[in-house]
Amino acid sequence: MFTLNFLIRRLAQGVVIIFLVSFLIFTLLRVVPGDPVRLMAGGMAPEALIEKIAKDMGLRDPIIVQFGRYMGSVVRGDLGQSFVRPANGASTGGSSFNDSTRGERAEVLTLILEALPMTLQLAAMTLAISLVFSAIIGIAGGLYPGRWPDKVAFYISSIFISLPNFWLGIVLALLFSVKLGWLPAIGYNGFAYTILPAIVLAVEMSPVLIRTLVGSVSSQMTEAYVSVGRVRGLGRTRIIANHVLRNASVPLFNLLGIQFSSLLGGVIIVEYIFDYPGLGLLTINAVLQRDFPLIQGIAIVTSAIFVLINIVVDLVATSIDPRLEY
Amino acid sequence: MSIISIASPDSSTMLASRSLARRVFDKAVASPGFRAGAAIFIVLALATALYPELSGIDPVKMDIKARLLPPLFEGAKWSWAHPLGTDQLGRDMLVRSLVGLRYSFLIGVASVIVMLFVGCTLGTIAGYFGGRIDAVIMRLTDAQLSIPMIILAIAVLGVSRPTIPAIVLVLGMSNWPVYARMMRSVVMTERQREFVRAAQIGGSTDLRIIVTLLLPLLLPSVLFTSVLDVARMMIFESTLGFLGLGVQPPTPTFGNIIADGRKYLLNAWWIATMPGLFLGLTLTSINLMGAALERARDTVHAGGE
Repeated sequence: MFTLNFLIRRLAQGVVIIFLVSFLIFTLLRVVPGDPVRLMAGGMAPEALIEKIAKDMGLRDPIIVQFGRYMGSVVRGDLGQSFVRPANGASTGGSSFNDSTRGERAEVLTLILEALPMTLQLAAMTLAISLVFSAIIGIAGGLYPGRWPDKVAFYISSIFISLPNFWLGIVLALLFSVKLGWLPAIGYNGFAYTILPAIVLAVEMSPVLIRTLVGSVSSQMTEAYVSVGRVRGLGRTRIIANHVLRNASVPLFNLLGIQFSSLLGGVIIVEYIFDYPGLGLLTINAVLQRDFPLIQGIAIVTSAIFVLINIVVDLVATSIDPRLEY
Repeated sequence: MSIISIASPDSSTMLASRSLARRVFDKAVASPGFRAGAAIFIVLALATALYPELSGIDPVKMDIKARLLPPLFEGAKWSWAHPLGTDQLGRDMLVRSLVGLRYSFLIGVASVIVMLFVGCTLGTIAGYFGGRIDAVIMRLTDAQLSIPMIILAIAVLGVSRPTIPAIVLVLGMSNWPVYARMMRSVVMTERQREFVRAAQIGGSTDLRIIVTLLLPLLLPSVLFTSVLDVARMMIFESTLGFLGLGVQPPTPTFGNIIADGRKYLLNAWWIATMPGLFLGLTLTSINLMGAALERARDTVHAGGE
């Protein structure tokens, strides 16, 4: 019953957060200068036509009215249509406003659902690499605080956090793809294309994970139950594997929930560099093209994922450590 | 700075008489990580401050005859005049990188100041007054933490001209929720303590309590954390530059040099990689110092009080 109660409360909070996020993005996009209709209709379109299109689309109404209308359709599951992307996937250009070859505009939901699996694959790969790497470095560092594994962890995390992701992406592509020819880098044409971007993202993520692990493992090792375990005759390996790591993983899970949005920020840049057709590339193009419905759709979907991940993280954390309150 | 003097290890009674912030600082300075970081940082700072003027090379002067020269000991055409080679327009890479470092560092520091100001103000208000104000500010931080700031930064800078004040403001607004949360939690615990109650009974106004009692006590530990954020903001700034939304060319910044160099990656690898090496080195030095400070703060706070 507790769990159900918790779920309902958190989901309600989540809805509030998603609402706030969409309101912030919605207002911001309309306050900032830059007219999407100009981009849609093409540079040569006469002013009167632009005004007419904008009026027809309701872009000249007060922001609150527009927001109400938008949220009304979002609640019914309709995220609207992209301003610039055609449904058939053809080029988004078109310099003349009456170009008859322009087809129906693409549904935002379809665009997002096409890109999302690609990014989830990248994220899963990143998570796997960074967790394995940080676990090795971080647990070793935490078990021997002040000794060399701890120092190695300290210097590795200091250096990794100092590598700008876009630069690292270029250098790794130059090294592994151009010079050595081991891994493909640009575009997407099979699973191997995920590896380089995932390594770059993992390098970006692991410093925080390593630091947290070192801190939590070393503080757990000073707890009374470790000494008691030794008195009970448990081996060191068993104490560490069954008890210490279990408790030390709680802060790690909480961190993963918080890290999600910074991971997404990294995904945008990395997908842009590697031309990886995921949510990040979709986002950056949408922002540069002032594609309001697409940006809003992405913001809603990502903040929903953020909320869900944090709920799952809290559930997992409480099942590991029942003392934590929901 | 005379604090380099090594404190004898058994001077705990003497230690206690110094302020907490001072103890944290001294402890950090004694660590090898901090010293290594500080040494790299000082060398880079001196080079950045002096070399562009001393060498007399103009970072934006083009020289087509000397274009795409490789760095030292690479290939046949290298020269001492251009230790890191030249770019596609014959501009000296070393001077360009150092000038880029100036912009990057100044923007990083300025945006952290903006961030500290906004975050600490809102966090202190939320933690001190609590109730509805607290709830509103905390929901605002939740909402902002769930949107990657790079999206907002691109959206804002993509249309308005990316001038330096605009960039500083956008960067500054990106990470304030972290400080707001940090300040809120410490202010909430501190305001229950006796000295705050005593001041309240003594008739001090809330503003007076916050400014004269709470801030001097709590700011130093927040400042130690903010050292790490200078590095983070420098990365953010160069990312924006890389996307073409940072300080505009011809002014050299790490971001736009690397973005330029990416086009010449196959025949002149040094254009894209060398500035990144500088940026990475600077950030490593800042991060080493910041991490040492944080570590020292944690041990002093855990064992000291």
